[in-house]
Amino acid sequence: MNRAGKKLSLGQKQNLAGWAFLTPAALLIVVMSFFPMIQAFVLSFKTGIGNRMTWTGITNYVRMFQDQVFMQALKNNFLYLMIQVPIMLIVALVLASLLNNKNLRLKGVFRTAIFLPCATSLVSYAVIFRSLFAVDGLINVLLINMGIFNTGYNFLGHPFSARVVLILTLVWRWTGYNMVFYLSGLQNIEYSVYEAAKIDGASPWQSFWKITIPLLRPTILLTAIMSTNGTLQLFDESVNLTNGGPANATITMSHYIYNVSFKYVSNFGYAAAMSYLILILVAVLAFVQMKVGDKRD
Amino acid sequence: MRRKMISAILAATMVLSLTACGTSASDPTTAAKGNEAAASGSANELTVWCWDPAFNIYAMEEATKFYQKDHPDFKLNIVETPWADLQTKVTVAATSGNLDSLPDIILMQDHAFQKNVISYPDAFVDLTGSSISFGDFAPAKTAYSVVDGKNYGVPFDNGAAIAAYRMDVLGEAGYTTDDLTDITWSRYLEIGKDVLAKTGKPLLSCLAGESDLIVMMLQSAGGSFFDENGQPMMAGNDKLKAVMEIYTELVKNGVLVEVNSWDQYVGTITNSMVAGTINGCWIMATIQTSEDQTGQWRITNMPKLEGVSDATNYSNQGGSSWAITSNCKNVELATDFFAKTFAGSVEFYETILPKSGALATYLPAGDSSVYSEPQSFYGDVPVFEMITEFAGKIPSSNTGVYFYEARDAIGTANTNVVAGADIDSEIKTAEDTVRFTMGQ
Repeated sequence: MNRAGKKLSLGQKQNLAGWAFLTPAALLIVVMSFFPMIQAFVLSFKTGIGNRMTWTGITNYVRMFQDQVFMQALKNNFLYLMIQVPIMLIVALVLASLLNNKNLRLKGVFRTAIFLPCATSLVSYAVIFRSLFAVDGLINVLLINMGIFNTGYNFLGHPFSARVVLILTLVWRWTGYNMVFYLSGLQNIEYSVYEAAKIDGASPWQSFWKITIPLLRPTILLTAIMSTNGTLQLFDESVNLTNGGPANATITMSHYIYNVSFKYVSNFGYAAAMSYLILILVAVLAFVQMKVGDKRD
Repeated sequence: MRRKMISAILAATMVLSLTACGTSASDPTTAAKGNEAAASGSANELTVWCWDPAFNIYAMEEATKFYQKDHPDFKLNIVETPWADLQTKVTVAATSGNLDSLPDIILMQDHAFQKNVISYPDAFVDLTGSSISFGDFAPAKTAYSVVDGKNYGVPFDNGAAIAAYRMDVLGEAGYTTDDLTDITWSRYLEIGKDVLAKTGKPLLSCLAGESDLIVMMLQSAGGSFFDENGQPMMAGNDKLKAVMEIYTELVKNGVLVEVNSWDQYVGTITNSMVAGTINGCWIMATIQTSEDQTGQWRITNMPKLEGVSDATNYSNQGGSSWAITSNCKNVELATDFFAKTFAGSVEFYETILPKSGALATYLPAGDSSVYSEPQSFYGDVPVFEMITEFAGKIPSSNTGVYFYEARDAIGTANTNVVAGADIDSEIKTAEDTVRFTMGQ
């Protein structure tokens, strides 16, 4: 029987209910995240001191590539990306497969111990590492006592060692985080696959390469994209550990953006443009990684 | 059923702990928001943001007590805010155009004055012609907060550069403080090498990559990074080149040791790892924290440059001034407060000096007897009188709007020169970097 008003079917009602639940959250995201992003994009086409900004087109984007300090920061970020991310992911993978062993005792203790570093505050751990690697810090004291050095070496005063220390602190902190992802990914691989491989005579190394890694592909892709994102946006370590490093040897793009916004005479348009460059870089790299890693189609 | 109960309880606990850490995380901010009463509404109340409880905040508290003698209903809310945070807050408030979050009075580092007033002219009150007598302050100090001929700040703490030495260590090497008074940097280097050889202690320590020492040395000869038109003058600046050459020599010979963080720098002083230091006189508070070194420190002036014009043994490092923000609803009250205390009362300065070592740039206070009292920590020498005298002889320097950019660029250049790079090309690179940042 047709009625005067249109009555919703059950499916439509459920759809409507779903949308009703989604709307507040979606609205919040649009207002809190997307709208500022669009504003920042608009800002990146302006330039000026403080709040006296004028339109200037793409000069900020062109200017970025002539900025020696920004180019150095870009190089630093990519250096960390090329070196730190692979090391960290490989170590996390190895640790995860070691800790996935059914017969290992005290698994919980090991997992907690390796995960604990990423529960620490970014600022405190950077400050502690800075004092560890001081000329009279613990590391130097140990190295002198072991007879490797005669006097303390200024780790943070030389570009190469400052970068090594920074990469070391990053690996220390984030390996546990990625290890947890791999552990959960490994739980999804049935033990029977490994058993079958063992029966066929595969060595642990072979089963790692031929079974674990291919089956963990989605998780590896996830951690790779997250690590890329995190490394390109690195800030706390650059500020608290090395303060940009000896002569900008370790400064990161985000640190430079902060300087341009708050430490120097504020040029928010330029800062916004640099932030968008980071966004573009992360998006491009994530896209490339997904193309390479995601074999679902 | 039991499983459902347990999982429900666990879920509830998790939610509760999340809210708990949510509130505790935001509690400081909500509490701070409560305290950070931006410009107070009532007629007799002012709010001030500043840092350092032992120094600035203490001075403000004493000033309040002073002012309350004649104005009993006066109230001052002091909110402790570190400088870096304060600068960020001012930037954010001024850029958004909404000054409501700012207090009535803020403390500002002298070398950030030009940058802030020129970038955000609407955020600060012009104090020229008010009841505050700026002529009573050391001219070099007042100059920091003068923009376009107008006064924007009430000068406060003295940053007169001093050289502090451990006389026991010097004595071991056969020197006295007099041997290090009114000297040149090459003599300092000679003595430094000798002291290092005989006692194993460097004469000086400073932060690597920061230009504080360079700026101090440059200003001692009246030099600056920028000229009167605000243009960088680094390449071809013979004073800057002389300064950087001396710096490199000091580091190469081990007389100057560079450290990586402020706590390490303080550590070199308190742990007797260096035989002295050269910094603004506010470093005395740090030196005095090691009570076991009482009587072993002496104060004198810093070495001077050679081969450049206008070289003196006096300079400045740091120091800040009070500024009144445009958000202040009662500017009359604020200026009167300053005119009666910081800019008018010798008795006020006498009160704050002994406890905090807070040396002023208020010249009449220098004649007070409290200033000429011998200080036992420094071997019964009337050091405060000495330093107030130094303050009057400091050459002015032109900070410029882009001071922090220049500072960082020269810090980078300096690190590279110490590592062996060519000094002229490094200075040129630094100037190019600053010009680039200035938009040229």
